[in-house]
Amino acid sequence: MVRYTEEELLQLQPDVEVPVNFDIDSFRAIIDKVKEIQGFQEEEYQHFHRRRSSHHHGKPKIKHLKPKIKTDSDGWSTFDNNARRKSSVAAGSAGALNSSDEEVAVKEPASIAQETLKVKPNKNISSTKPADARDIVTDKAVNNFNAFAALESDEEDD
Amino acid sequence: MSVEEVTQQTQDLNIEKPSTVLSSEKEFQLKHPLNSKWTLWYTKPAVDKSESWSDLLRPVTSFETVEEFWAIHNAIPKPRYLPFKSDYHLFRNDIRPEWEDPANSLGGKWTHQFWGKTPDIDDLWMRALLAVIGETIDEDDSQINGVVINIRKSAYKIAIWTKSADQKEALTKIGSKFKTVLKLGDDTQLEFLPHSTASEKHPQPSLVL
Repeated sequence: MVRYTEEELLQLQPDVEVPVNFDIDSFRAIIDKVKEIQGFQEEEYQHFHRRRSSHHHGKPKIKHLKPKIKTDSDGWSTFDNNARRKSSVAAGSAGALNSSDEEVAVKEPASIAQETLKVKPNKNISSTKPADARDIVTDKAVNNFNAFAALESDEEDD
Repeated sequence: MSVEEVTQQTQDLNIEKPSTVLSSEKEFQLKHPLNSKWTLWYTKPAVDKSESWSDLLRPVTSFETVEEFWAIHNAIPKPRYLPFKSDYHLFRNDIRPEWEDPANSLGGKWTHQFWGKTPDIDDLWMRALLAVIGETIDEDDSQINGVVINIRKSAYKIAIWTKSADQKEALTKIGSKFKTVLKLGDDTQLEFLPHSTASEKHPQPSLVL
């Protein structure tokens, strides 16, 4: 059996390009074409399977801010409201006002703005249907007429 | 002997230059024959649902000498350049790279999967080819039918196909050498899968190195 080691075979490797016995250009062209098609297919897949920002159905999202708790030297822990207001842009501009009443009035909406509430709009608001399902319960008659109770009360009157 | 006589004798000497491959036009063309003819096959990835396996698997070319091998190897695209779902198969003589081929039906394959990008995959594939065509991976009998590389999105797989699946001693020797060729460490597994289990959903290796 004829054998060649890896080293022997590497020594026989030509330094120059040697022509081959088949149509290498056609072979390369097939590979390039397949790569091109795969590239298009991948692009198409990415386009149809990309994550969309509109996927927020279901519960409204409420962004709660974590209250800052300050612990003093005696070990008492208190909520730190000031730290929250400092971070607000609205509160910063209100600092220029002189009146303390006005300052509170301006600062208040700023603290509300800290929490974002996203609510789905009610589609029934302009129709004849109640806007809120709880309204159906509240509109209902609470007391029903009880015929036996009415008869009893008549006898007592007599 | 006088100086004139020595000069005369020197001139009479017909010192021929040593004969090398380069000194003769005929010898220069000499090629190094391989033990057998080898055929290179290529599996083109399907780009259309109508394409069947038989349409996709095609013989590219054959060679019988070391020089022809290098000419082909240097001309064809390297594994890293190939599109996903491509395969190169190099098989002895006219053996088809399929389990159904009579030469393969009783055999199996030593296989290893290289996960991720594997920057040296071209070099590993070339080493596998050289070991197979040089017949250094086989000690006694020619157990090797071919060698295959699969190019996939997440991994490359190189496998060596053998003609038998039950000659444990011979197969273990081949597996050990193949592990060296692929530069696999002791912590990396090389599995032998008989072709008879290839159609199973989760085939179990009959040998592990």
